[in-house]
Amino acid sequence: MSFEPKIVAFLCNWCSYTGADLAGTSRMKYAHNIRIIRVMCSGRVDPTFVLKALREGADGVLICGCHPGDCHYHEGNYRCLRRYHLMQKYIQQMGIESDRLRLEWVSASEGKQFAELVDEMTEQVRKLGPSEIKPVMEKLAV
Amino acid sequence: MAEQEQRIGVYICWCGSNIAKMVDVEGVSEQIGKLPNVVIAKNYKYMCSDPGQDLVVKDIKEHNLNRVVVAACSPRMHEMTFRKALQNAGLNPYLFEMANIREQVSWVHEDKDFATKKAKSLIAAAVRRVSFHEELDKRTVHIDPAVLVMGGGISGISAALEIADAGKQVYLVERSNRLGGRVADLDVTFPYGHSARQLLEPMIKRVEQHPQITVFTECKVEEVFGYLGNFECKVIGKDGKETGIKFGNIVVATGLKNFDPSGMDNYGYGKLPDVVTSVEFEKMLRQGKIETKEGKIPQNVALIHCVGSRNKDIHEYCSRTCCMTALKYANQVTAALPETNVYDCYVDMRAFGKGCEELYANTSRKNVMFLMFDKEDLPVIKKTAAGDTCNMVVEMNEVLSGEAIEVPADMVVLMVGAEAHEDAKEVAHAVGVSMCGNDFFIEKHPKLDPVATTTDGVYIVGSCQGPKDIPDSIAQAGAAASRILATIAQVEVEVEVTTAVVNEDLCCGCQTCIKVCPYSAVTYDEEKKVSTVNEVLCKGCGTCGSTCPTGAIRSRHFTDQQIMSQIEGLMAMEMEVA
Repeated sequence: MSFEPKIVAFLCNWCSYTGADLAGTSRMKYAHNIRIIRVMCSGRVDPTFVLKALREGADGVLICGCHPGDCHYHEGNYRCLRRYHLMQKYIQQMGIESDRLRLEWVSASEGKQFAELVDEMTEQVRKLGPSEIKPVMEKLAV
Repeated sequence: MAEQEQRIGVYICWCGSNIAKMVDVEGVSEQIGKLPNVVIAKNYKYMCSDPGQDLVVKDIKEHNLNRVVVAACSPRMHEMTFRKALQNAGLNPYLFEMANIREQVSWVHEDKDFATKKAKSLIAAAVRRVSFHEELDKRTVHIDPAVLVMGGGISGISAALEIADAGKQVYLVERSNRLGGRVADLDVTFPYGHSARQLLEPMIKRVEQHPQITVFTECKVEEVFGYLGNFECKVIGKDGKETGIKFGNIVVATGLKNFDPSGMDNYGYGKLPDVVTSVEFEKMLRQGKIETKEGKIPQNVALIHCVGSRNKDIHEYCSRTCCMTALKYANQVTAALPETNVYDCYVDMRAFGKGCEELYANTSRKNVMFLMFDKEDLPVIKKTAAGDTCNMVVEMNEVLSGEAIEVPADMVVLMVGAEAHEDAKEVAHAVGVSMCGNDFFIEKHPKLDPVATTTDGVYIVGSCQGPKDIPDSIAQAGAAASRILATIAQVEVEVEVTTAVVNEDLCCGCQTCIKVCPYSAVTYDEEKKVSTVNEVLCKGCGTCGSTCPTGAIRSRHFTDQQIMSQIEGLMAMEMEVA
């Protein structure tokens, strides 16, 4: 069986999750590899959620929030952005490819952009191949 | 709750064929039924229908379920529906989780095997998550029936009267020394020529004499504290006198300011004495004297549209009222000075309001010449040589004739646009509303909720939201007033229950949460040396939860444990299927 990437996505309720729903109501088609978890704000995305997803076997993690200036909670997306840069640094130090983690802004009206983003990221992760984190962690586990 | 035996019911919706044609609902329910703690897993044609909901209610009672998962459309669609069903069955509505297998599975994928596999993962994640759900109780707060209205223009006055007539106390705060706002500057109104004074004066009189309205003139509102139902602030007078007031809702009606054309060299405003703004011309009309600075009757009057509006270097938007005001002037000039020629230099004639196209048609039959210019190619006003028949000429490339022309003028009226009030930033900060790029305030939804804002209990009416004419402003004022009266009629208001809560044993007192909270809902308890969350101010974004270094803050209904278990559920099913 060919490699099908598993991507866990954290989407904010107000913009990005609604944008993903719009892709659905508009019957746009995109790669099946994404699994969406809804949070109220991208500011809720704790770095440990990202690590947990990778640890459990995700090949990629996508975080989506409202565009800068449009956050339902004023500035949660900026908090998310700051943490994202730290997370990028961290995963790279751990030997995880930076392309496995992405942060993108998707508004409630950007169903098409969301569908394109999922396709694009799926191919990006497919090129990287399966993540080694879960098997390595299991080997290391005492 | 965690120790209690988990009895989870899972319901998979076909949504007619919307889900069933792309997801093997039978196969999914069979496999999900084997998961730990899942007591029953069923599939049904339309879960949101009455029989669908009844199925859940019946099973909760019969099978003693204490958790429910529905896999169907988006939770944004029917989460509330199923929460109510749980409530009807006597179960706390938060012991419910929804898996989105329509908008995010069957409608977006084309391979049934993959779609089915994905649906299974999402449902397994929801099952895992719902095990960690906790009962959350609705909380309500009492609503103070008093209302603060900021701004004493026609919008603020209208809102104040509507609310006060319903017997509620209104505090009307106006920065200037008089009520009436921009309408008080007008002579007559378009399109029907009603006298502005006759419209306004009875309203102002009623406000001043109304037993339920307290008017503060030459006053401003200092930062507003609180939340829907329980706001408070200080009103500061010019003399420094402070009055503390309490209220449950706010109407922001702080209006607009007129554009100052001094910076536009092509019009020579401030240098050529007989180039005046529409605001100054209006004053002449009120005084009944259309004269040049030298006291002469102008033989030629030019009106120039879109001054400061529809200009990519100044304001790109249309100020909405200037075209019709120009037509009003054309009519007033031709009526008062029948010998005078009027030249109306416009970009596009925007006559969209009721009675406005008729005003345009009527004006075209009078001694008015309409000349069109391109908004990227503005007219230039020049002084003529001494002894010429007119004082000035307006040089312009007339679009319809395609010719460069010189329009004679003894007086030029610049139809200045509207811009956000200079106090807009201060007001936005005081009450917690957002501003768009032009500094006008942003409504909650541009189509469906045009007078509310994202801050509950704060409404925006009139031109502080964008340039508006009188009827639109009054309509908004009425809309905000009725929304507020409806809220007050509820006596109590429900507040967010999915708030953050601090575990004082784990809190190290670093106060990082205080810095990231956009609602100032987290404060520091100096005595206990821990952070505390004001649950009424908290909107449940969860940013504090993910910033807390010790894990002391729990975001209710989006706890670390709930989300972690959801991730586990997702990936466990992935691994198993693979």
